[in-house]
Amino acid sequence: MLPIDIRPDAILRELNEYGEKLAHGVNNLMQVGEIACGVTPKTVVYQEDKLKLFRFDPPADRVPSRVPLLIVYALVNRPYMTDLQENRSTVRALMEAGQDVYLVDWGYPDRADRFLTLDDYINGYLDRSVDVIRERHRLQRINLLGICQGGTFSLCYAALHPDKVSNLVTMVTPVDFQTPDNLLSHWVREVDVDLLVDTLGNVPGEMLNWTFLNLKPYQLMGQKYLGLLDTLDDPEALKNFLRMEKWIFDSPDQAGEAFRQFIKDFYQHNRLIHGGLTIGEPVDLRNVTMPVLNVFAEQDHLVPPDASRAMRGRLGTNDYTELSFPGGHIGIYVSGKAQKTVPPAIGKWLDARAPAR
Amino acid sequence: MSQTDDWMAGWIKAQQGYWRAWEDMARQAAGGKVSEDAQRQRLGEGLDHWWKAVSAFAPADGRAMFDKLMQAGQGYFVLAEHMLTGGGQDTKPADALEQWLDGLRKTWEPWSAAASAWPPAHGMATPGQRDAPMQGMATFWDLPMDTWNRMLATVMPLPGDFTQAFHGNGEHPLRDQVNRFLSIPTVGYTREAQEQAQQLARRQLDYLAASQAYQAAFGKLGLQSVDAFRQALHARAGDPVTSLRELYDLWVEISESAYADFVMTDEYQTLYGRLVNSLLALKQQLALVVDQGLEAMHMPTHAEITTLQSRQQALRRDNQRMKNEINGLKKEMNLLHQQIAALQAKAAMPAQAPRKAATTRSRTPAQTAASAGARADVAARRDADKARKS
Repeated sequence: MLPIDIRPDAILRELNEYGEKLAHGVNNLMQVGEIACGVTPKTVVYQEDKLKLFRFDPPADRVPSRVPLLIVYALVNRPYMTDLQENRSTVRALMEAGQDVYLVDWGYPDRADRFLTLDDYINGYLDRSVDVIRERHRLQRINLLGICQGGTFSLCYAALHPDKVSNLVTMVTPVDFQTPDNLLSHWVREVDVDLLVDTLGNVPGEMLNWTFLNLKPYQLMGQKYLGLLDTLDDPEALKNFLRMEKWIFDSPDQAGEAFRQFIKDFYQHNRLIHGGLTIGEPVDLRNVTMPVLNVFAEQDHLVPPDASRAMRGRLGTNDYTELSFPGGHIGIYVSGKAQKTVPPAIGKWLDARAPAR
Repeated sequence: MSQTDDWMAGWIKAQQGYWRAWEDMARQAAGGKVSEDAQRQRLGEGLDHWWKAVSAFAPADGRAMFDKLMQAGQGYFVLAEHMLTGGGQDTKPADALEQWLDGLRKTWEPWSAAASAWPPAHGMATPGQRDAPMQGMATFWDLPMDTWNRMLATVMPLPGDFTQAFHGNGEHPLRDQVNRFLSIPTVGYTREAQEQAQQLARRQLDYLAASQAYQAAFGKLGLQSVDAFRQALHARAGDPVTSLRELYDLWVEISESAYADFVMTDEYQTLYGRLVNSLLALKQQLALVVDQGLEAMHMPTHAEITTLQSRQQALRRDNQRMKNEINGLKKEMNLLHQQIAALQAKAAMPAQAPRKAATTRSRTPAQTAASAGARADVAARRDADKARKS
């Protein structure tokens, strides 16, 4: 017999509790109001097409680092993940660590943006954003912090424009796209990306959502919502949940040509490490000669640690540091532990390499 | 009474009815007699009915969230339902669960066989169809396929049901008829249009075959999950499961683990690639047919807009390149102007000052200008070099 010791009345009691939580939850859901994300005050300092370059308003009571830090987020999902709420904000924690923080927001591409290429994004939008910051601060080089796909972009940018990057920080950044545990890479191997882009133009955000949810479907589409029931009566916990939920499903469409090149060159042919990658000019990781801090998450199911660690030994720099965080791809930005450890460590690493005032 | 109070009152009333019915069912498990209410009302359905009644008044954001909660709850409730009623009278929850798992296994078995010998035999029920053990389970076992169909609705101008329209069930399968139709050579004035229609139908069949193969593979996965779930339960002898939630969590854990193993296989890679590629090929053909209609009506076609978008981006790139060149030239011009100004300042300087004056620290305005010009010279040259590089 199966080792189950549940009496029928206990089952009914559990179901009764479930129903009550649901009924009370309706009230709280009705009263929860608008879910605000992106809490730290910021100012648009440059705008081009749908791109916005923000500078987070420096605190009046502190002089930030002389060399500003530009956060380069992925095209997938939205950058407010780095500034989700007051007590879960990588941006705020970086500012508290003394950094002068800028952020590239790529916006939501529409069909008129379908022919934007990686060259347009990296040597166009990103390079012009970097130039704006350099001019504002009268500096030859600034610091870059790339996140996930944005980390890959930052790495490519640093290889193509090493004269403009003082220090490079990458977070949960894939470099080797074909490690054995990379599920996304495994799935796209037989997808005809040319057919995909030629047919759809831009790749719908819904398609990406479907892909990400299917990495762990039973947890992400079922169990997670049962877990929510336990927090429905706590308005703050409910808001936290809804903020994450908003972010998870806030997936911009992907500009078709950039998506085509990213999937083919990175996921299918792994050209960043095998060579042969061209983004305007050939990308050679040996040109990355500035100091590099590579931060990755040990339980990352989207970018496995080995995909990030592959950076080691492939760059031209003599100053390469790894920082591993015991958490997941999202936890590295939002968990309480991450807030206390990761941004301060980044600030310290950058300060150690800052020019003397 | 406020609207919220109304909902609560409705909920409590509904709850009372359902709990009465279900307490009866619990008594039945202990040897009592089941009431007609309990036979008629399914617990998950009761919740569903209540939500349908109140959800019309809920704001859109909250409604979407609650829909998800309801969907997740269905799997949970079904689990409870089978444990309470699965084995009929005098059956303990553990036995009822065992019998239910047997039932699930029987449902998945033909699909598991089908996954290795596609296509399945005619008349086979699909895993999500209403076999007794599967009732209410579409939200759990079929989650990946279910979300695929939802995603599909966002990229196809046709409802998901349409893409499933050609099925192989029945004595005279429609698929055979379609295949016969597709073998007719196209002729005459509308030959190309006929050919396009045939191609569309072929691609629809390809997609159908790919999605059925994908679904059949999930049947195999379902079977593996049931077996793994049973093994995991037996492995807990001495540490029995004591709550429904614990049982549900274990079920999720085991299913997720079996799924994770399956989707890393080469078999899944091929199935997934085939599913996506066949869908896109269908959509591409559909777009072609739509374009033909638009063209006939003298309206802009998808292909024409794509061409314009491509040319527009090429023009923007040219524009940006020229802007960079103009900026570079401007900087060079500035440099030249500064050099000229410096030369003019130098030429305007009075004759060589006496040696003594030269050793003093004081400078004439012209000297200051010349020196500033030289500094600007260096800076401007540096800027121009940068502009050329960029």
